[in-house]
Amino acid sequence: MDYMKFFSKKGDVRIHFNIYDIILNFLILSIATFSSVKIIVWSFFEANWSVVSKNLALFTFGSYPYHDRWRPSIWIIYLLILCFFTIFNKETKKKRRPLVFAWGLFVPTGLFLVCGGLGKYPIPISYLGGLSLTIMLTSCSLLFSFPFGIFLALCRQSELFLVRNISKLYIDFMRSFPLITVLFFGQLLIPLFLPNGVEVNRVARAVFAFTIFLSAYIAEDFRCGLQSIPVSQIEAGKVLGFNDFQITSLIVLPQAFTIALPALTNQVIGLFQNTSLMSILGLAELLGISRSLLANPEFIGSYLEVYIWLGLIYWLFCTIIAMLGRYFEYQLDYDGNNR
Amino acid sequence: MRISKGIFVQITLAISLFLLIFILFNNLYVNLINKQIGFTFNWLLRPAGFALSESSLNYSPSNSYAWALFVGWINSLKIILSSLIFSTLLGIIVGLFSKSKNKLLRKFSSIYVGLIRQIPLLVQLMFWYFVVFLGFNNSNNDHYSHFFSVSNKGINILNLNLTTEFSALLFGLSVFTGAYIAEVIRGGINSVPSGQWEAFKSVGLSEIQGVFYIIIPQSLPAIIPGLTSQYLNLAKNSTLAIAVGYADIYAISDTVINQTGRAIEGFLILLLSFLFLNLIITYAMEFLNRFVIANQNRRIR
Amino acid sequence: MTFMKNIINVVNLSKSYSAGIKALDDISLDVGKGEVLVVMGPSGSGKSTLIRTFNGLESFDTGYLEILGIRLDPNGDEKNIREIRKRVGMVFQQFNLFPHLSILENITLAPIKVQKRQKIEAQEHALSLLSNMGILSHANKYPSQLSGGEQQRVAIARSLALKPDLLLFDEPTSALDPERVNEVLDAMRDLAKKGMAMVVVTHEVGFAKEVADRVLFMDAGRVIEISKPNIFFQNAKEERSRRFLNQIIK
Repeated sequence: MDYMKFFSKKGDVRIHFNIYDIILNFLILSIATFSSVKIIVWSFFEANWSVVSKNLALFTFGSYPYHDRWRPSIWIIYLLILCFFTIFNKETKKKRRPLVFAWGLFVPTGLFLVCGGLGKYPIPISYLGGLSLTIMLTSCSLLFSFPFGIFLALCRQSELFLVRNISKLYIDFMRSFPLITVLFFGQLLIPLFLPNGVEVNRVARAVFAFTIFLSAYIAEDFRCGLQSIPVSQIEAGKVLGFNDFQITSLIVLPQAFTIALPALTNQVIGLFQNTSLMSILGLAELLGISRSLLANPEFIGSYLEVYIWLGLIYWLFCTIIAMLGRYFEYQLDYDGNNR
Repeated sequence: MRISKGIFVQITLAISLFLLIFILFNNLYVNLINKQIGFTFNWLLRPAGFALSESSLNYSPSNSYAWALFVGWINSLKIILSSLIFSTLLGIIVGLFSKSKNKLLRKFSSIYVGLIRQIPLLVQLMFWYFVVFLGFNNSNNDHYSHFFSVSNKGINILNLNLTTEFSALLFGLSVFTGAYIAEVIRGGINSVPSGQWEAFKSVGLSEIQGVFYIIIPQSLPAIIPGLTSQYLNLAKNSTLAIAVGYADIYAISDTVINQTGRAIEGFLILLLSFLFLNLIITYAMEFLNRFVIANQNRRIR
Repeated sequence: MTFMKNIINVVNLSKSYSAGIKALDDISLDVGKGEVLVVMGPSGSGKSTLIRTFNGLESFDTGYLEILGIRLDPNGDEKNIREIRKRVGMVFQQFNLFPHLSILENITLAPIKVQKRQKIEAQEHALSLLSNMGILSHANKYPSQLSGGEQQRVAIARSLALKPDLLLFDEPTSALDPERVNEVLDAMRDLAKKGMAMVVVTHEVGFAKEVADRVLFMDAGRVIEISKPNIFFQNAKEERSRRFLNQIIK
């Protein structure tokens, strides 16, 4: 509240001139105007967007076979439709069920489509690149790290000494190292730990590395949620005759999930961004494909165009994820802040 | 006697984990023998043979691998400490902006934080390196170059020359981490009850005075844990140096492993050196935390 | 053997905390079928601890319990405790509704998942309970949208949904605004009239006078006296009880 109002008499005209404020505003506005004019002029007249327009397919599919590009296309369109319906769905719980079902089918559908179900020949997933690979890495890693992370968080709260401490050790250990070292482990060291003759493809190894890394963080977020649930809720469950499993799954986890949701949304956004690290380790996802494009003599020097384009795509997808997160927060907000 | 369910679960867990680890390391052992690699550390003393673009210590390609790794570790420390200082300053300024009465400053801080957090750090680092720093003209003949100059050769301040890689990394990491620190500062300020704002206004302190003497000291207990985790994140993120060609511990380990083929040993060294970095940051922040708490207790007494 | 007639038998029950403080000190009592026992006493006297032992929320050191014919010993086994909990309802001071579930879901969850009843049947039962409590219109709301008194009536309905043989009330009106107390007490009076056996920890003297069959007075973990309410409130046998009553009725 404006405290000037408190001191001024009723009926006084309240014009709050402050010379610093005016100068400051003038400065900010002129800098903002100057830079936006500059950016607009650059992007319409000076920039050479051919590096983007000529390579849209490459950015989306990587080196995926030309005649089969409809497969990842369908998958991405499926994703966008799902996002659209989820974000703009203001229906109540009952009508949410098909949507949840459709989300559950997202990864299996993707693998089926991309790896060559429906067709006569299998397509190795290593052909996938660009945005499709980024989405594939993100969604597969999420699919595995959420259950594993919740499992770890529950173990971390266990009354059994060994269970509790092993999961604590795992979580703390994983959280103390940079993601790139874990990904490095996934790409270069995992083959050494596999029996002779067993080979796992690079994408699967990356998903594995992302999963073991992210689940430690998800576990920690869930733990915060679990800890903030009062003991009286568990007592109420016991009194009604629920067994331990029912108390955990029906009473504790749904509430913990709601509390952890904002943090979890940030983890998902972080994961989507961090898939770009695989470009350092030789996967041609969105950033990787851009780097190889920039090495192409035809497009040399188009750094600014490519990085702005990349920034836009990442920004767009991260914003969509944030909106999805906010949608779930709205849906699960039982404390009535939004109702 | 009946064994209780808890004991049974724990024994099963211990046995299966032990089996899993045993199988994995048995595979490793067999693989190392088959590929005739073995497991030794004596290669560490052999000459590294590669040059480094950046080193604060004396280094030449004839120095050993161990020395190269140590130089990389020092380089990591150097970039972490300098970005830590800059990102903290930036974060405090932007965090205070977000609580400003000026609407445009608030808008600026929310756009900055929103934008930086929605774009991958790696893309940002490459932007700073390839677009910003490599985009500068070569300005060797600039008239003010004795005091301060920025060119595609890096930054010059008096006699201090920062390489392009270091400068790009410094800017990228500071701008990125600054956005997160700004959020920590904002959260910390929000944690101070609003009555304190009315209180300092009522005793006649100005906004700036009130913020620095009343609000910030009280928000420190809420800020320091957040800062610690942001600093640890900064340390982890500094390993992306490899993308702009800065010779930090990860980049050098990567080169060493590629040259020698000593993946397991090199990886172990990398992990250990990182653990050591983490310990330093954690202990420093623990010390700061104890200092702040002690200070506050003194005031309460 | 008078035991079979009673639904609660407490025999020489004791519990002490690690510091040597006795929470329950050699307590013996019994509650008959359809009886309403009101438990009174100063705070920290062990009233809550006592009724929380009745459904295994609180453990004890010596003595034993028989609830609805099921015996509970110190370190009683989980199976017996769960058997008791299925037949004994409890209402808490802080309501303890599940905030993430609607009122209807709060009430039907246990009948469906624990007693494996049909969903439709459980819902019909829940709705009739809600209408008895006078809060039928709130069925699809969430706990945070209800007042304290309404939430407590939902909590009573929730424990009734399991068709219990005994209800435990742990200070059900202490967390309520004064003007909301009566709506909850009215619901409890109704239950008593229908012959529900209840053990009620409360400070509501009016309720105790009107509804209780006997009043149990506790202090420092011991039973000071158990009397009919007309005797307890007009002419309590023990000096300690009279002192307590003088303090709460001014």
